[in-house]
Amino acid sequence: MLDPVTLEVIRNTLPAIANEMAADLQRTSYNMMIYEVCDFCTTLTDAKGRLISQNVGGVSHFVADLGVIIEDIVQREGPDGFSPEDVFITNHQRVAGQHLNNVVIYMPFMHKGRLLGFAMTRAHWIDVGGSSTGLGAGAFVLDPWFEGLQIDQLRIYEAGKLNKTLHAMIRDNIRYPEASLGDMRAQIASCRMAIKRLEELVERYTPEVVEEAIATIFAETEKRCRNIVNAIPDGVYEASALYDDDSVKMDEPIQIHARVTVAGGDMTIDLSGCSQQRVGGVNSRTLAGARVAYKALTEPEAAVNEGSFSALKTIIPEGNVMMAKYPAPMGGWSMIVPTVVDTIFRALAPAIPDRIPAAHHGLLGGSIVFIGKDPKTGGNFVLQSLEGGGWGGRPHEDGESAAVSVCQGNVKNSPIESMEIKTPVVVEERSLRVDSGAPGRFRGGLGVDVRVRNLVEGKWNLARPRRRKCPPWGLWNGNSGGGAEYLMRVAGNNDFESMDQVMRPVPKDTEVIIRTGGGGGWGRPFDREPEAVLNDVREGLVSVRKAREDYGVAIDAVAMRIDENETSVLRAARV
Amino acid sequence: MLFVAVDIGGTFTDLVGFDDSNSALYSAKRLTTPDNLVRGVLNCVDRSGLPMVDITQLIHGSTVAINTLIERKGAPTALLVTKGTRDVYAIGRGNRPDAYNLFFARPKPLVPRRHIHEVDERMLAGGIVRTVINPQEIVAIARQARADGCQAIAVCFLHSYANTAHEQSAAEALRHELPGAYVSASHEIMREYREYERISTTVVNAYIGPTVSGYVGRLEAGLQEHGFVGELSIMQSNGGVMSPAVAFKRPVMMMESGPVGGIIASAEIARTLGYSNVISFDMGGTTAKASLVRDSAPAMAEGYYVGGYASGDPVMIPVVDVVEIGTGGGSIAWIDEVGALKVGPRSAGSAPGPICYGLGGTQPTITDANVVLGRLGAEEFLGGEMRLDAAAAEQGIATTIGEPLGLDTATAARAIVEIAVAKMSLAVRQVSVEKGYDPRDFALVASGGAGPLHAAMIARDLRIPKVIIPWFPSHFSAMGMLMADERHDAVRTYPVALERLDFSDLGRVVEELERDLRSMCRGDAPAIQIQLDLRYIGQEFSLSVPTPRERIVNADRTGIRAAFDAMHQQRYAHSADDEPVEIINVRLIAAARRAKPAMPKPANVKSAPRTRMVVMSPGPAVSCKVIDRASLAAGMVIKGPALIQEYGSTTVVFPKDTCTVAATGELILSIDAEG
Repeated sequence: MLDPVTLEVIRNTLPAIANEMAADLQRTSYNMMIYEVCDFCTTLTDAKGRLISQNVGGVSHFVADLGVIIEDIVQREGPDGFSPEDVFITNHQRVAGQHLNNVVIYMPFMHKGRLLGFAMTRAHWIDVGGSSTGLGAGAFVLDPWFEGLQIDQLRIYEAGKLNKTLHAMIRDNIRYPEASLGDMRAQIASCRMAIKRLEELVERYTPEVVEEAIATIFAETEKRCRNIVNAIPDGVYEASALYDDDSVKMDEPIQIHARVTVAGGDMTIDLSGCSQQRVGGVNSRTLAGARVAYKALTEPEAAVNEGSFSALKTIIPEGNVMMAKYPAPMGGWSMIVPTVVDTIFRALAPAIPDRIPAAHHGLLGGSIVFIGKDPKTGGNFVLQSLEGGGWGGRPHEDGESAAVSVCQGNVKNSPIESMEIKTPVVVEERSLRVDSGAPGRFRGGLGVDVRVRNLVEGKWNLARPRRRKCPPWGLWNGNSGGGAEYLMRVAGNNDFESMDQVMRPVPKDTEVIIRTGGGGGWGRPFDREPEAVLNDVREGLVSVRKAREDYGVAIDAVAMRIDENETSVLRAARV
Repeated sequence: MLFVAVDIGGTFTDLVGFDDSNSALYSAKRLTTPDNLVRGVLNCVDRSGLPMVDITQLIHGSTVAINTLIERKGAPTALLVTKGTRDVYAIGRGNRPDAYNLFFARPKPLVPRRHIHEVDERMLAGGIVRTVINPQEIVAIARQARADGCQAIAVCFLHSYANTAHEQSAAEALRHELPGAYVSASHEIMREYREYERISTTVVNAYIGPTVSGYVGRLEAGLQEHGFVGELSIMQSNGGVMSPAVAFKRPVMMMESGPVGGIIASAEIARTLGYSNVISFDMGGTTAKASLVRDSAPAMAEGYYVGGYASGDPVMIPVVDVVEIGTGGGSIAWIDEVGALKVGPRSAGSAPGPICYGLGGTQPTITDANVVLGRLGAEEFLGGEMRLDAAAAEQGIATTIGEPLGLDTATAARAIVEIAVAKMSLAVRQVSVEKGYDPRDFALVASGGAGPLHAAMIARDLRIPKVIIPWFPSHFSAMGMLMADERHDAVRTYPVALERLDFSDLGRVVEELERDLRSMCRGDAPAIQIQLDLRYIGQEFSLSVPTPRERIVNADRTGIRAAFDAMHQQRYAHSADDEPVEIINVRLIAAARRAKPAMPKPANVKSAPRTRMVVMSPGPAVSCKVIDRASLAAGMVIKGPALIQEYGSTTVVFPKDTCTVAATGELILSIDAEG
């Protein structure tokens, strides 16, 4: 039997390696999607693609999603088809199932000629050709060729030797080769470092002991998750939601439906009720919706490994919007996922009312993307930032404001000063939106307005405002939130106009407002403590008018006092 | 000359004194008096028996800054920001470090939104004025802040790192209008870009300002009242000391002054012993801390959050890089629901404490395990002042750990210690291996009550060849304060591609920063170190590359970039020698060296040698020499197995290791790799 000390050492070391990979990749990367948005993951798998460890923080929708790539390559190459210092590159949607910007780089870990596992990184490149610049092509591309360069499980290094042809092919077909190839270098260095660490580990304990420890860690993790699920009342729980459209068929919302079955320690999340794959690029091949929800409900703070999902069965049939067949377009692969996660939570709210918040803004951020040429340096630039929105009210407290979605973790907005140093723009305002947090006994968090002026001509790339047909819902009679929007005032015009998915060349001094939605409310707004409403008014988060209309609290705005009599009249009138 | 350092920690206030006329070291320990810290300092000096009037230099470190912040006991504070940025402080960076936590919490703002005022002024990148500030507007805001009861005011405008004019004008108007208030403008602390982090830093400084500057003032007065006529210095988080006058203005610099002391001492002691690369390791009752010292200089942290990364307040100041983990002598061993043995992070603390203290503790701790193994002498704890209940410790480990896991008691105790060591080794790894340094090139300096007990095991784990046990390992932070230089940091965000850099302009910036630094230093002319924060164009994170002044004077573009490429290669194992490089910040460090105490000779006091049965490795207990540290003489060599005991600490010399007593009395363990 494995001794407890060795087990504990290995248990701590494996996630530490993945975290070290992440830290190195982030600190040396060339694009803000990696260094601020943390749109990457670093992972160790065994020889069959089972997840040994993954970095903490980062983007949660990458959770445990690289195994399929290993299964595919091992099938293709055979277990003996690898050499140390092989470096693979892929972004092909046949297997990888995400937008093409997410480039996976990985290396086999060989010990004395035997394949023991893989060190892997997936990272968002700033451009892979086609219409991928910046945050990615989005949903309105109709096929992968339109989206960008496709690379299907190729060796960029063969046994340590650079494949110059492939390298040149990539370099010549992407727009910012310095940045992306710099990121590729960082990804490779990160894998190499991990392999060095793994070598140290198996040298010290032997591969057999390390493998036994990993099997034990998987089993223990599974058992802990089962224990937590076991405490949820058995039953079948269902909920539905809508996502506005797929950017092509505008009048046909995407159906989202979750059927969650709890039986003892087993949980099944059946997403068969979601739409079939679509013409627009909202498709993907991902289990992230189910897994992010399950992880948040089981062991949110613990390191993730294959055992984290062994007791979860996820059902998504082939041809579903989240299990689409190549070449279905996947440029906007992750757009619907936060809403899927929220829908699973919504299904479970009656079972575990104390642990489920109201819906959050549900979008991957209000995205700022402005592309142009800086007359001072003559160089091209891409301005990017992702802005958070409101989270839903929670069973015992208000939702947080201005935070990124449930599918993003340690994703940061760009500092105003950083944006202005790097690109010729002025950020006129980054502020919370009064009254945007949906009323509830526990209020939803607030969304933001970010107003940006471009000082040179260029092109704004604005997304489509979503979550309108099914705004972020409240729970237990809380109101629903939302209100995301993109607005533009072209230089010379007086008013801001609402924009809808534009890629628009504009003159200098054009202003754009990126507006994010608020979170849903939890519980009846009229049950909110009047003192809490007064405090919101005092802080300028809720207006006097809304305090009265939505919460039934009358506030004397001059004295900043609650009018007790009027408040009880207002509240009595609405029982 | 008499040098005295007083370090206020959570539990104890420690004093170490050194008299250079007779090379005598003094020490004292008193319980910390949280209600009146100044009295605690005076008590401690009193206890040491050193006459206040004879003290030439008194160096002081205190938890007052960090406690005021963490306990949210600072002054009501107002904040002035650029128009359009009122909510930047609340919005922060929008991130959620705990990715799956639905109940995540952002740092609780120190300034409510209603006390944040927008000022109609604006600079653009580079410090170009777009909207000129109107001082009348500031006067109106000042009146409002007074009416709101604010006693402290922070000012942070966009791009003020490049042009301070608007912040200066606002601060001046505020100070004029509100003479009693504590006013802090961001450029007075750090001139570095990233507005949220700078706002947070300025707010923290203002928020703790009245309390901390009041404390420093009372301390000065209290010391003088008791006859102190020497020079008072305050310990900073950057590893140097500052004058009280600087502390009034930048109290935020005191934030981590406690742990830093031990790191400075590690650097200094190792340097005198001929080791310039060391890992400082401190293990106390509740936590263990590790940090790296390279070329005798402590490594600085890459970002600092008071209260932890997930929901702490970002503070943009140079802080010595410390990795802290919840493993200390009091950490509790337990078996989780699936049968895995765990140690910590819960701690029995000092009450009820470990089982062996006999104060009601029932859960086995690391200390209990060491007692069961015989490594801690039950009869000789704290010089025999406190008797430990070994039988109870044994019983506790047998029933809660041994029996459920099917291990005999000694094996269970050893497993507890080894798991703790594994966790601490990871912390040491984090400051070394993970930063690209091979621990085999370092020596480990072990301190804290429990450090010398475990140091050899950690060293063996990481293949560190030498372990140094300094004098007074349990007063080590105060010891370090005695050895700290005066140090000040200045930074200026100065974005420019290296290709287009105008070296004479850079020279002017350096001169300006240097003038600021010199004005803060007392005494001798400080040594100035220049660093350029460089990155490949397109990267966000940078590396601080030490840059000799000649490189700037001689416009040595090639030399600067070669140094950066080499550093990138060392740190990340890749570089891009043909890609363009840019500067983002210019940093200057001024260090004015202060006189250092010399260590005394070992005492060589006669004491009877004795033996004890100790479990050292798998297998039964072996007979082991027990030696009083005071009995050692310089040059003595002790072969393991042996225990070396002193007040507050025990050093374990394992069977294949040897311990040599340095001429200056430090214990130097040579670690056998196989052990």
